[in-house]
Amino acid sequence: MTTIAPAQVTAPAQAAATEPISSGPKGRRGLVMTLVLAVIALFWISPLALLVITAVRPLSDFIGNGPLSWPDQLTWSNFKDAWGIGNFATTYKNSAILAAIKVPLGVLVSAMLGFALAKLRMKFRRTVMFSVFLGLTIPIYITIVPVFIMMRQAGATDSIFGLIGPYLAFGIPFEVLVLQSFFRQLPDEIIEAARVDGAGDWRVFFTIILPLSVPALVTVAILDAVATWNEFLFALILLNSDAHKTIPVGLLNFQGQFANNNTGLAAGILIAVVPILIAYTLLQRWIVGGLTAGSLKG
Amino acid sequence: MATSVAVAKPKRGGRWSPWLFALPALAVYVAFLVYPALSSLWFSLTNWDGLSATYKFVGLDNYFKLPQDPVVVTAVKNNLIWTVVTIAVPTVIGLLLAIALNGKVHGKPILRLIFYTPAVLPLVSIASIWGWLYNPQYGAINSFLRLIGLDGLAQAWLGQDSTALWAVMVPAIWLRTGFPMLLYLAALQGIPNELYEAATVDGATKWQQFWHVTMPSLRPAHYIVLALSLIDSFKVFDMIYAMTYGGPGTSTQVMGTWMYFNVFQYYQAGYGTAIAVVITLVAIAVGIPYVRSQTREAS
Repeated sequence: MTTIAPAQVTAPAQAAATEPISSGPKGRRGLVMTLVLAVIALFWISPLALLVITAVRPLSDFIGNGPLSWPDQLTWSNFKDAWGIGNFATTYKNSAILAAIKVPLGVLVSAMLGFALAKLRMKFRRTVMFSVFLGLTIPIYITIVPVFIMMRQAGATDSIFGLIGPYLAFGIPFEVLVLQSFFRQLPDEIIEAARVDGAGDWRVFFTIILPLSVPALVTVAILDAVATWNEFLFALILLNSDAHKTIPVGLLNFQGQFANNNTGLAAGILIAVVPILIAYTLLQRWIVGGLTAGSLKG
Repeated sequence: MATSVAVAKPKRGGRWSPWLFALPALAVYVAFLVYPALSSLWFSLTNWDGLSATYKFVGLDNYFKLPQDPVVVTAVKNNLIWTVVTIAVPTVIGLLLAIALNGKVHGKPILRLIFYTPAVLPLVSIASIWGWLYNPQYGAINSFLRLIGLDGLAQAWLGQDSTALWAVMVPAIWLRTGFPMLLYLAALQGIPNELYEAATVDGATKWQQFWHVTMPSLRPAHYIVLALSLIDSFKVFDMIYAMTYGGPGTSTQVMGTWMYFNVFQYYQAGYGTAIAVVITLVAIAVGIPYVRSQTREAS
């Protein structure tokens, strides 16, 4: 999993709340700073910008004018070629199914554990907590040999379903860390009141804790979806046939095949990243808020 | 702040009820993370090739072989360089960007969006993008150098020992700058204005304010950034695998990739897992203070 960014979520959306602190004349300095930052940002995003420009021009145009030129001609055919040869219809479907199963399941079991740790009197609570959080430090590759053997014995290699267990396990530490700290902030009085009315732990969990924690659950789900969508190592060792590959493994294959077709390669990379870029742009409020809010209370 | 009692009193459900909630996650965690990690400890003490039905217990032989393996020496060195550079550079750039963004700047949301964008991309796609930019003949980087008259600097960035590792670290920096920037930005916004006003009254210069007000206030942020970057840096695998495949030769091997090659290319599963065990122990040792702080905070 590529994203590890434990932080306590209070509520997203409050990231850009307070006013900046710098003093001095507003207009002139602000403008200069904006300009400097804009240039850096342009430079920062230039790899992606170049990718887009290259993907929409014919290969001959790219080779004739060089990678840094403006295209003379525009074409969509690179996308068509890349989509077919890159097998993206299949890898998209596989990645989507995997995320659709793994993410809700992971968030649910993590929320349950987080609830037990935060709001129920549980024996060995700190030991459990420590052991689970320790999972954040464990690199995936220490587990690949035993996981590979396990999956072969279970007949689950070369199937996206074989990835669910390992993905869940490596997602749990982060999800539990964030969720339990969010649950902890919910007032005990609400739970007490429900208990007085006769609600058991399960009813408290499903009718009080979860509905009150929607912001945290959404943030965790989004970050987990990004990590699941991007995971590479388990997918690399467990999936063999093209029919079962996920986007990252498929992209790697594709990269090999298109080594000499720069425009096709650019189109293929774009096909692989555009959905995540769109999702990020739309959901960035949650991602940014989740990564930062409340994590710095000292 | 905590006015109410932190832990709810046990009412219903009995003493085992919490464990019902904990069980699914713990079962998965143990089955697919703890148990495999521990069995790797066992495999690292064998001469298993990864295919045969049988293998022998060889004690610590695999571990004694490590220092004699020149690739392990390279990998350790590369891991160290990787750790230092991909922590220091993104942290400094991230802090500078955060300070700049925290000032009177227009278009903050879009700027923040742009600087964090690389962090959400799959590592493999980042590797593809930069592999393509580094292409010796048609890559944008060499084209740019030729454009500004530095033809002499145009080279096969990923194809030669002297530059390959550094060339892989550039996209890693690109990808890892967003997170410190976000954290620092949030932390900067949390510093009360009165601190700066008081410092100004006392005649502190901007520079003094930075070192005596800003930096101390950012300590919790420094801690989180450093801890998470450290933990993350030991996991390096995808980028190296997808960009250089450990090459040219073995010059960009890191422990993670060298482990993979031993297991899946050279059929030395026992030896490969020993490599993984060593780096995992280092990662755990480095990560424990952070894990403990998180556990403590929650109690």
